[in-house]
Amino acid sequence: MAGFVAVLRKDLTLELRGGESTLALVALSILILIVMVFALNPAGGAADAPIAAGALWVAMIFAGMAGAARTVLAERDNGCLRALYLSPLDRGAIFLAKLAAASIFMVVAEAAVVLMLVLFFNLDFDLRLVRMLPALALGLIGFAALATLLAAISGRVHAGDLLMPLLAVPMYVPALIAGVKASAAALGGAQWSAMGQWLRIMIAFDVLFVAAGFILFEHLLGED
Amino acid sequence: MANTFTRTLAALTGLLMFAAIYMTFVFVPTEAEQGIVQRIFYFHVPCAWVAFAAFGIVAISGIFYLWLGGQIWDDLGYTCAEIGMVFCTLVLVTGSIWARPIWGVWWTWDSRLTTTLILWLLYGGYLMLRAMAGDSPQVARFAAVIGIVAAADVPVIVVSVRLWRTIHPAVLITKQGQHGLTDPRMVATLLVALAAFTALFALLLLIRFASLRTRSRLAALERELNLIDAAAGDL
Repeated sequence: MAGFVAVLRKDLTLELRGGESTLALVALSILILIVMVFALNPAGGAADAPIAAGALWVAMIFAGMAGAARTVLAERDNGCLRALYLSPLDRGAIFLAKLAAASIFMVVAEAAVVLMLVLFFNLDFDLRLVRMLPALALGLIGFAALATLLAAISGRVHAGDLLMPLLAVPMYVPALIAGVKASAAALGGAQWSAMGQWLRIMIAFDVLFVAAGFILFEHLLGED
Repeated sequence: MANTFTRTLAALTGLLMFAAIYMTFVFVPTEAEQGIVQRIFYFHVPCAWVAFAAFGIVAISGIFYLWLGGQIWDDLGYTCAEIGMVFCTLVLVTGSIWARPIWGVWWTWDSRLTTTLILWLLYGGYLMLRAMAGDSPQVARFAAVIGIVAAADVPVIVVSVRLWRTIHPAVLITKQGQHGLTDPRMVATLLVALAAFTALFALLLLIRFASLRTRSRLAALERELNLIDAAAGDL
């Protein structure tokens, strides 16, 4: 637990002093959202709920791919990853700390994206946005876990930045499907009950990838 | 080069494959509703079986590699990922050929098709990792982790994709079981085809695995030689 707090505090301090990851994540998310608006040309009105939900998730995935992995990738410089590996910290705790840091960065980015989504798609600040939050939170944690796990790979092999989306997107498919469906239902004015099955899929996905990262991170950190 | 066992297996595969082709094109009666194109089913299903079996072995060998170590598990996983990819591609291609006359489309976002496509992309990523990152124990560990996580992800993918499609009205009848293998000759043909493709899988596995094993031994010898050279240089 102490190790978890130490690594998380280090990452947050680093981010507060430099702040580049979160800023880049926010900027990239909003850019992708704008691209989606141009590409899909929403007419405005209630019929846009599925389009808005889709745009939100595209922005989250593709910005997250670049942003959420930063917490691991930043450790490559000056051999920090090796220092982490040599430290007596539990590998699972390192993974959870990195996951928590990435999640916090993504929460900030998503808050900005949801705000811009409301403006761009002329939505209302009402209960429908609140109903979308659980899906968004679950999707965010799952993506941060996946990205943290894969960043330990993509950051250390040749052409790893190309590999990241190739591996992350197919793996993220279940959470993506469930997230888009639940968000579209929420924005379309559906009740909580309509989202139950999708939220259950996302919980399963999150449990799977957080557990996988916790158990397998040890095998990814080592060097030869 | 090939030992007796490989030769015997090759002969057996050839025989079974010949029998499967004969049964598919001559022996089995033409399905009443779909006509001649339904015969691709006897190749389509065995390909799917081999692909899924191969991907399963990728995950199992990944677990054993991380647990016990040993280059042999990594070689096995790599071999099966390659073979699984070939047969997964064949599943998509034969399915597409069948779907065009029966469903009227090359592709539809049906749950099985979507799941197979996602699997194809997943293991495509796995093979890209191996192709780009080269050979090292570190990359072998990365690949093992990807193989395990991908297989663990499959049930979630299946459930989510199925729910995704049941929300939409099912336009097309997708269950192979619905047109039914009404004739016992159809069942016999399918079983022989399954046996033939399983034998082919085993044969490909054996040959490719042997070549990867040789490559690993060569790499180990090279490393040893380099050590000796370095030691000699020090003297």
